Amino acid sequence: MSDVGQLATSLRRGTLEFCVLAMVEFEDRYGTEIVRRFGDEPGLAASEGTIYPLLSRLRRVGWLDSKWAESPSGPPRRYYGLTAAGRAALEHFRTEWVSFRQTVDRLVGTGEAA
Amino acid sequence: MKTQYTDVVTEYLREVDLRLAGLPVLQRRELLADLAAHIETERVERGLVGEAELIEVLERLGSPEVVARAAYEEAGPLPPIAAPPSPPVAMAPPPRDRAPWVLPVIGAGLVAMLIMMALCAGLFFFARSGNSPAEPMRMAPQESAEPVAPPAPTPSFTG
Repeated sequence: MSDVGQLATSLRRGTLEFCVLAMVEFEDRYGTEIVRRFGDEPGLAASEGTIYPLLSRLRRVGWLDSKWAESPSGPPRRYYGLTAAGRAALEHFRTEWVSFRQTVDRLVGTGEAA
Repeated sequence: MKTQYTDVVTEYLREVDLRLAGLPVLQRRELLADLAAHIETERVERGLVGEAELIEVLERLGSPEVVARAAYEEAGPLPPIAAPPSPPVAMAPPPRDRAPWVLPVIGAGLVAMLIMMALCAGLFFFARSGNSPAEPMRMAPQESAEPVAPPAPTPSFTG
């Protein structure tokens, strides 16, 4: 894997899952909907198919729950929603992320005031 | 009909499935169901009509290798007795992220650890229940700190 790909992988690790949590913070969304959204963001997910194992893990750790529902236009959809634990994890991440980002910005020289 | 389109999908899902042999069966089934639902949703909601369009959907999902690798990464540490040893695939064995001996070794280590913990707990309980209330007996430190380590059981399920 190239260095660029390696960096993207490293940066994704530990952050992508909170992007997923934030996506379902206010309303439940179905898998394909989540995957399409990430497909629109360059460099966020390695490929669309890698989102499903991530959703599975977030469900297994109790941050998401899921339920299948009929779709008006296609096959049944699996809707994901945030659990109370997931909500708490997302809030915790937001706090940590801001201070983390500020520190990195300061040290690397990427902050606006740097 | 849609058989010619589903052929490529069936083949793709089979290729993914072949690479998931080390995962717990429910996670494996879940991922395949999710992928199948995704492909079908894309096909219906986007009104895809040709195999080429369906292949694009599969390409966006990623190669079976990439998807399987993500599945293993997200599975985390697998339970000690994860799966019966899968029979080796006769043709074109998929690249595996883990060496085949890793699971049995981890399993044996976990079993040994559980036995040690059970021994410690038993020792502790025995020492407590043997105490007279008036004069609690202190546990001999070397005894509690160093329970006799049982020999690690040789795994019978070497894969």
